[in-house]
Amino acid sequence: MWQRIKQGLETRIGLEDLINTKLKSYSVPRNTNIFYTLGGVALVAFIIQAISGFFLLIYYVPHSDHAFRSVQYIMTAAPFGWLFRLMHVVGSNLMVAVIFLHLLSVFFMGSYKKPRELTWIVGWLMLLVTLTFCLSGYLLPWSQLSYWTTTVVTAMPTAFPYVGDYIANLLRGGEFVSGITLNRFFALHVAFLPPILVGLMVIHVFLIRRIGLSSPPFDASSEETKPWTEYRHVSYPNGNSFYPYFVLKDLYMVALYLVVMFFVITFIPTLFLPEASNIPANPLMTPAYIKPQWYFLAPYQMLKLIPNKFLGISIQIALIGTFLLWPFFDTKIERNILKRPLLLATFIASLVLWVVLTMWGRSS
Amino acid sequence: MKRRKFLKSLLALLGSTTLISFAYPLVRFIAPPSRKAEVKRLSLQKNEIPAGEAREIVLNNTPAIIINRPGKGYIALSRVCTHLGCLVGYNKAKGNLICPCHAGIFNLDGKVLSGPPPKPLTEFPLRVEGETIIIG
Repeated sequence: MWQRIKQGLETRIGLEDLINTKLKSYSVPRNTNIFYTLGGVALVAFIIQAISGFFLLIYYVPHSDHAFRSVQYIMTAAPFGWLFRLMHVVGSNLMVAVIFLHLLSVFFMGSYKKPRELTWIVGWLMLLVTLTFCLSGYLLPWSQLSYWTTTVVTAMPTAFPYVGDYIANLLRGGEFVSGITLNRFFALHVAFLPPILVGLMVIHVFLIRRIGLSSPPFDASSEETKPWTEYRHVSYPNGNSFYPYFVLKDLYMVALYLVVMFFVITFIPTLFLPEASNIPANPLMTPAYIKPQWYFLAPYQMLKLIPNKFLGISIQIALIGTFLLWPFFDTKIERNILKRPLLLATFIASLVLWVVLTMWGRSS
Repeated sequence: MKRRKFLKSLLALLGSTTLISFAYPLVRFIAPPSRKAEVKRLSLQKNEIPAGEAREIVLNNTPAIIINRPGKGYIALSRVCTHLGCLVGYNKAKGNLICPCHAGIFNLDGKVLSGPPPKPLTEFPLRVEGETIIIG
């Protein structure tokens, strides 16, 4: 049966040739490390989010009167509802972690440099879209945590004079977070953002295949030693074939990702669901201790520390802009960060600052 | 003008006109639904709020608080923090209003004491007529 299907596909689309040219003949550098698999792991993470999200849609009711109860129903009454919800909740956090690690490793290995500036920018846009996914999804359970986190986030544009209030009202669909906001965020989460993220993924993968994978810069055989004056495809005639070598490495890391996900679901299921996420939204009472998810703790702490709202939010936007356009600021040909002490020191200092602000935000 | 160039320009014109003609309905569609301005007033009896106590109310859809400040009388303030919109809570022991989100602190006149809020809490008109407090 399988042979007949294979034969049928071979006759119609030339399956063997497709596998040979796109997977086996496509070679990757010999010295790739496990950090090269993080993009693939992020892709699998997104697929898991999409599938678990589809299942949640069967029971979820996007209405402020029913949303909280429908989520409670999923968690307590729908058969295995808890599994799909926890996969979605834990998966969203792990997906952000994987994308963070991916960006850090790309930065550390200087893979954002010419000719891969666009790949870096698209990657960053994907992180921003993923964070928007998280924010819009956060409101959907209509809990105290959802409600007040969304209140804070949608109030951020008000830092800007003239247009700020209008933008905030546009996001919320009114002066305060309400059922209208829930409908807007639901539409954003399930209809607008998925095609945007998929589109960016397609562009990202296209750029990687068109330009060619970068190699780690830590040995002399690194490919980008000559200046990049015209288009050329970076290939590795003596490299390892993408399939099975790199695919197996990818699968190994995907398995590790699933181990972490199911470890959290099994042993620490409330890790990403604090108490306020089990209390229905009350627009007349802000909970005493409300904290954003771990990936927003550093910006949250910054907002607390900087006394001027406009300044605090402007600094954060400027930081995002700087990272987004980093390849255009750092135009040196040298990719090996170990040979660039100033960049290495900035990298480490930024990481330490981020960790300190995150820990501080968590404990304050 | 060559026919090909004319057709290209015409196509560009028609295409951009089509796109722009969708912009206005789109902006109107996503704009918040307009709400009729409410001029609701609220009245309470003075004995409902003894000195040093406060009462939370909702005035024209805005969460608000009426405080009976010892020695200074009643004041009606919006509970919406001017930083990022969380609701402040009355801290009777310290005689101030605290925002739980980013630790903004206001005094009982609504003025910022510390933290990131950029301006004081909005004050609502309040008057006392005999034994009745009228807000709004």
